[in-house]
Amino acid sequence: MAWDVILIGAGHNGLVAANYLAKAGRKVLVLERRNIPGGQLVTESFGEGFSVDALHASAQLRPDIVADLGLRIEASRAGAAYTCLLDGGKRLVIDADPARARAAIAEFSARDAERWPEFVAFMDRAAAFLDATYRTAMPRLPHFALREGLPLAGLLWKLRRLGGRDMFRVVRAMSMSAEEFTGDWFESAALRAAVSALAIHGVTLGPMSAGTGFTLMHNWLNRGGLAHRPIAGGVGTITAALIDALKSRGGEVRTAAEVRNVMIDGQRARGVRLASGEEIAASCVISAADPRHTFLQLVGAAELPPEFVWQAQSIKLRGCVAKVHVEADGRHGLPEGTLALAPSIRYLERAYDAAKYGEISAQPYLEVTTSGNVVSIHFQFAPYALRHVDWEAARAVVEQRAIDTLDAYCPGFKAAVARVHTITPRDLESDYGLSEGDLNHGQLILDQIFFMRPLPGWSKHATPIDGFYLCGGGVHGGGGISGASGRNAAKVLLS
Amino acid sequence: MFELKRTPFHERTSRLSLPQNWRRWAGYLVAGSYDLVLDREYWAIRDAAALIDITPLMKYVIEGPDAARLLHRMTPRDVLKMAVGQVFYTGWCDDDGKLLDDGTISRLSETKFRLTSAEPSLRWLAMNAVGMDVTITEVTDQVAALSLQGPKSRAILNRVCARPLDKLKFFRLTETRLAGKPVTISRTGYTGDLGYEIWMDAGDALAVWDALIEAGRDYGIVPCGILAMDMARVEAGLFMIDVDYTAANHAWIAGQKSTPFEMSLGWTVALDKPGYFVGRRALEREHKEGSAWKLIGLEVDWQGLEQLYARVGLPPQIPGMAMRGSLPVMHAGKQVGYASTSTWSPVLKKYIALAHVQRPHYEPGTALQMEVTVEHHRLHAPATVVKLPFYEPEWKKK
Ligand SMILES: Cc1cc2nc3c(=O)[nH]c(=O)nc-3n(C[C@H](O)[C@H](O)[C@H](O)COP(=O)(O)OP(=O)(O)OC[C@H]3O[C@@H](n4cnc5c(N)ncnc54)[C@H](O)[C@@H]3O)c2cc1C
Repeated sequence: MAWDVILIGAGHNGLVAANYLAKAGRKVLVLERRNIPGGQLVTESFGEGFSVDALHASAQLRPDIVADLGLRIEASRAGAAYTCLLDGGKRLVIDADPARARAAIAEFSARDAERWPEFVAFMDRAAAFLDATYRTAMPRLPHFALREGLPLAGLLWKLRRLGGRDMFRVVRAMSMSAEEFTGDWFESAALRAAVSALAIHGVTLGPMSAGTGFTLMHNWLNRGGLAHRPIAGGVGTITAALIDALKSRGGEVRTAAEVRNVMIDGQRARGVRLASGEEIAASCVISAADPRHTFLQLVGAAELPPEFVWQAQSIKLRGCVAKVHVEADGRHGLPEGTLALAPSIRYLERAYDAAKYGEISAQPYLEVTTSGNVVSIHFQFAPYALRHVDWEAARAVVEQRAIDTLDAYCPGFKAAVARVHTITPRDLESDYGLSEGDLNHGQLILDQIFFMRPLPGWSKHATPIDGFYLCGGGVHGGGGISGASGRNAAKVLLS
Repeated sequence: MFELKRTPFHERTSRLSLPQNWRRWAGYLVAGSYDLVLDREYWAIRDAAALIDITPLMKYVIEGPDAARLLHRMTPRDVLKMAVGQVFYTGWCDDDGKLLDDGTISRLSETKFRLTSAEPSLRWLAMNAVGMDVTITEVTDQVAALSLQGPKSRAILNRVCARPLDKLKFFRLTETRLAGKPVTISRTGYTGDLGYEIWMDAGDALAVWDALIEAGRDYGIVPCGILAMDMARVEAGLFMIDVDYTAANHAWIAGQKSTPFEMSLGWTVALDKPGYFVGRRALEREHKEGSAWKLIGLEVDWQGLEQLYARVGLPPQIPGMAMRGSLPVMHAGKQVGYASTSTWSPVLKKYIALAHVQRPHYEPGTALQMEVTVEHHRLHAPATVVKLPFYEPEWKKK
């Protein structure tokens, strides 16, 4: 069997790229090191009756990708609330229904309640702008060819249509901190914290860090608002739909097939070699694994220009998330929807401070989702690079702090805990293939986005190796669930 | 207080240098010359033996299972094919194929090399060594080096070395003892004559110097500064960083950079070797498309020069040392290049220059003109493109 294209990694981006390529008639093989496909879009079982979306809670692919590929995916449910747990047993419940949200916010500030619909509308427009940006492969700066300007001109046109005032506000907000940005809109400390929590979700930044204005817009786009939109059957159904579609187009997915290295001859990719030693030839190879792992391990520094290697080494990967899944005995007492433990901006910033010094937050920022009896706690900050302790010892600390902290705000929770499965940043690296446990294959920070993602000067999915491309979350369009970087890479390859 | 470093030979050289014309070389002080005029030192290179302190060369020991792979990747030469005891001269490039530096690679063992360079190279070596099992150690200060150049150099060394050097071939090295001290001797140099470079522990420097001076007395050995060596290296067609080319990482503009092909170093670029090396793509392209520039030799036509001087009633006035000023090179009234070093060649009795010339004017035999200043007037003397080197005695490689 001669393959046209081999994709490394069966995360959603690899599968989206594979589908576009198969749709265009290419013979495509996807290789995944884990025993199950999906990457971070995975519904996994941790024991009898203990099945859960292991990593990313809820997800949506871009609607145009769903349409292009004819994917059969259950529509995710809007309508779940975003509930902030506050001190003194208080709660701020931001409902998807604007009238209900306004009524809840009004208890904290009448003025903020007034502004809420305008804020939501602005965030939706900002997200739409980001979406358009992610759909456009960025030019390679500073080596900018004129013909690369065309899609960019289209993007600028969209930006213009945002209107002068919005355009200015979006660009300005990107470099601001969430603390400043929410201060521009709101006076209520509870509401500002609620929004700021989304800004730091999944990134190693605090609400006072510059650039959390950008991550807020990014995450708003990723979820379609503040709250997760759960999907019936779990996120694994998206993966299954992508694989079904791929198979119907003649593509293949192999699990338990870890790629050890890309075979290169004369600065051209010729295929891959698996950890088992098996060699598979292909005219083209695309990696959906993170760029640092891809370049330094799979390609190898010896095949790459020294300046490029230096830049690949310098990609900032800073995992800080642990996931604590709890199977409760039927009385966990938590409301449906998304719960955020983010009582104040100061609380969130303190939680982040710990990460700066290689420590686990004593009072962590938590985001909690439930699915029947299973409670999933997203825990920040649990830095990959710990000082003073190792992760074997720290696993229990994270577990205990997650449960105790949630119990303090939701009394009775702890008593309902039956079984626990914890995923630390080390596990994210060793089990899920994420270097330094970084969910986004590279931090979403201002010097690592747009035409600087994955590396300055290399933003068009191409690499110094001919016939070798990148399509995962570490390239422009990526970070989060959308499929944009997968689709963009396929388009570049097909053009 | 800031002071330049002194080489381990300073105790001797500082007492011998009559003009005390110290030169700065890579952070060290070295003697420009030992006499007020260069003739004696220059003619020692060509007729007897000249002893030159070359300690300031940057030196790195590269050791480990991947040592050969590192140098194979960093330089355009096929280092994997190199034999133990062999020495390679090479330039090395950035990924655009532009020269960063040049020097020699000595293969000391299967897994151990010594690299010399003009510029500090630790960072570049380390950047190229990512993922490789090698250690890189700078030994510039720990290893002293002397260059013994001239037709009598072998005879002198045979007197003081544990083993005769008669079998040591051009660009090979050997380990032996000199005056009882362990040394590495390579048959290399920067003069285009028979010559050797002697590498030793800095602590043994004075003993080795004294032994060579003593043994060389009968052969007319002369301590020689870098000014006389500068004349000899032009005759040998050897260029110098910062003078004849600008390191790519120091260039202000793209036009200041040069490739190995442009520097007539095509013979060092092994495009047939396996694997990636830094600059490979760009060099392949240039090889296919041809070079826009070339470093060539220019011989000024003496009669033409005489005529220019005769107009003001003078014989030709050429200073007796190498000149590093840039001189325009012309063709049919248009500038087509520039000479970067020019010198009077005592052995050839010619006025010669290393020049960068644009295509198509760089072919040997092409008639060009080079600027000369005659009594404050800038004129053009006829000159011919010649193959390098200008001078190569039959005993150089014998
Ligand atoms: C708890 C959590 C919360 C998150 N929240 C957000 C958020 O709010 N906003 C946001 O933008 N993003 C968020 N993310 C990140 C988001 O999930 C990722 O950016 C996205 O899933 C990346 O998808 P991908 O397809 O590019 O890569 P992945 O899903 O990581 O897939 C890569 C695949 O490659 C495989 N692989 C790696 N190396 C090899 C190899 N050598 N051989 C074969 N296969 C290999 C891996 O096993 C993996 O299956 C979150 C992630 C988590 C875990």
